[in-house]
Amino acid sequence: MEINLIAESVKFLILGMSTVFMFLVLMVFVLELQSKIIMKFFPPKKEEDSTACNSTSELSRNGNLAVVAAIAASLKSYKQSK
Amino acid sequence: MKKMILQLLLVLSLGTYLCASDGIKENKNQEYKSKSVSELFGSLYESTGLNAFLSPKEGEVSHGVVVSTFNQSGGRLIMMAICFALFYLAIAKGFEPLLLIPIAFGGFLANIPIADIAGPEGFLGILFNMGVSTGLFPLLIFMGVGAMTDFGPLLANPKTALLGGAAQFGIFGTIVGAAFLSQYTGFIDFSLKEAAAIGIIGGADGPTSIFVASRLAPDLLGAIAVAAYSYMALVPIIQPPIMRALTTKEERQIKMEQLREVSKLEKILFPITVMVLCVLLLPDATPLVGALAFGNFVKESGVAKRLSETMENSLINIVTIFLGLSVGSKLASEKFLVPETLGIIVLGLVAFAMGTAGGVIMAKIMNKFSKHKVNPLIGSAGVSAVPMAARVSNKEGMKENPSNMLLMHAMGPNVAGVIGSAVAAGILLSIFK
Repeated sequence: MEINLIAESVKFLILGMSTVFMFLVLMVFVLELQSKIIMKFFPPKKEEDSTACNSTSELSRNGNLAVVAAIAASLKSYKQSK
Repeated sequence: MKKMILQLLLVLSLGTYLCASDGIKENKNQEYKSKSVSELFGSLYESTGLNAFLSPKEGEVSHGVVVSTFNQSGGRLIMMAICFALFYLAIAKGFEPLLLIPIAFGGFLANIPIADIAGPEGFLGILFNMGVSTGLFPLLIFMGVGAMTDFGPLLANPKTALLGGAAQFGIFGTIVGAAFLSQYTGFIDFSLKEAAAIGIIGGADGPTSIFVASRLAPDLLGAIAVAAYSYMALVPIIQPPIMRALTTKEERQIKMEQLREVSKLEKILFPITVMVLCVLLLPDATPLVGALAFGNFVKESGVAKRLSETMENSLINIVTIFLGLSVGSKLASEKFLVPETLGIIVLGLVAFAMGTAGGVIMAKIMNKFSKHKVNPLIGSAGVSAVPMAARVSNKEGMKENPSNMLLMHAMGPNVAGVIGSAVAAGILLSIFK
């Protein structure tokens, strides 16, 4: 065989690892820049989570009195069954 | 209603009358010669699988190549036994059952004599030509992977992407290893293309391996796919000893800062950003990265839930069935029972080990230069194998300190590894263009 397989594959190793790193390093820089820009100009709004409420007061504030009633009823029946 | 049925009957009876006309009847049996009962049974026996196994014929053609007598009889039985061993591993040991079961069943079907199921006219062959030779199925899988993956941990700490890059050392190191083997051993002779296709096993990414192997070394595809998926299943066994050997107890106990929250806009922009980079630097990787980015974009856009749900469930399941079966078709004895397979199995293991070591060592190097310490255990997650490799990192970290949760930190390099191996695949494809 004319070409030296090992020398050739070592060249691939150098090319491959440097390109993968170049790509990822560039990606890291771009992502960091991007996050800085986004944080500065489009700061994330505090999202109001309507699906998960942690207390009955939150629930009633949102007008979900039916849910509060259902929870109270189920608690009552659970206590009675004990 | 009654009238219609009557009309239908009339038409049908007319049809049968025409077919039964005398001219055809005389010619019908011309090709058939009268046979005695024993001859009938004899010819039936000759068409059984039993006969095909017991008395293989010289020069029999199957799947488009001449098959040696050993591969027609003993070889097929060995392959069926291997397929049953894969069934056992999948069912009893839970090794990647979603893939190993279709692959092994495909292999079982491909080794059936006479039927030629994996040939160009058999259904496995049709599936193979349709989706694997063209590289379509791996791309569809990548779409599903994109729709499943949350790149949040990577966005929160982009530096960990470098770990995913270092783990790709497994790919390129293994190419050197394969070249070494073919230079210095007599019985294994890989071309550079084949060496590259074997190296990609080190990316620990099934679809990428299949995509590259189908382009560079279609004959080795079966062995490469089986090796890739088997070692991915063995990640929890292969990685921990390497991780422990390369790190000290103090390093394993490093606690990492909590990840910041990532805004929705960042997540939406991420696939686009990666695509732009890929378009500029390495268009050869865009099929893989593009499919991944598309799936992820649909998911993160949040307005096409039906599409992203289809991609990450139904679509990926359907394609996995097809992909598994068609990869299995390459487990036919005449293609699998060659010395090269042994080389691939050994090199695949080497590739995984080198990738793991590369990631861990990179983490240690990063610790030398950065004030934000990185636990080197998450380096091993840089080989893709999502999310198995990240879970292994987490488990090893918990062994040293039960309160040290590394899972989310390890997901960063883990998903970066998917991108890294897609980039590496693009490089390999561009070399051999």
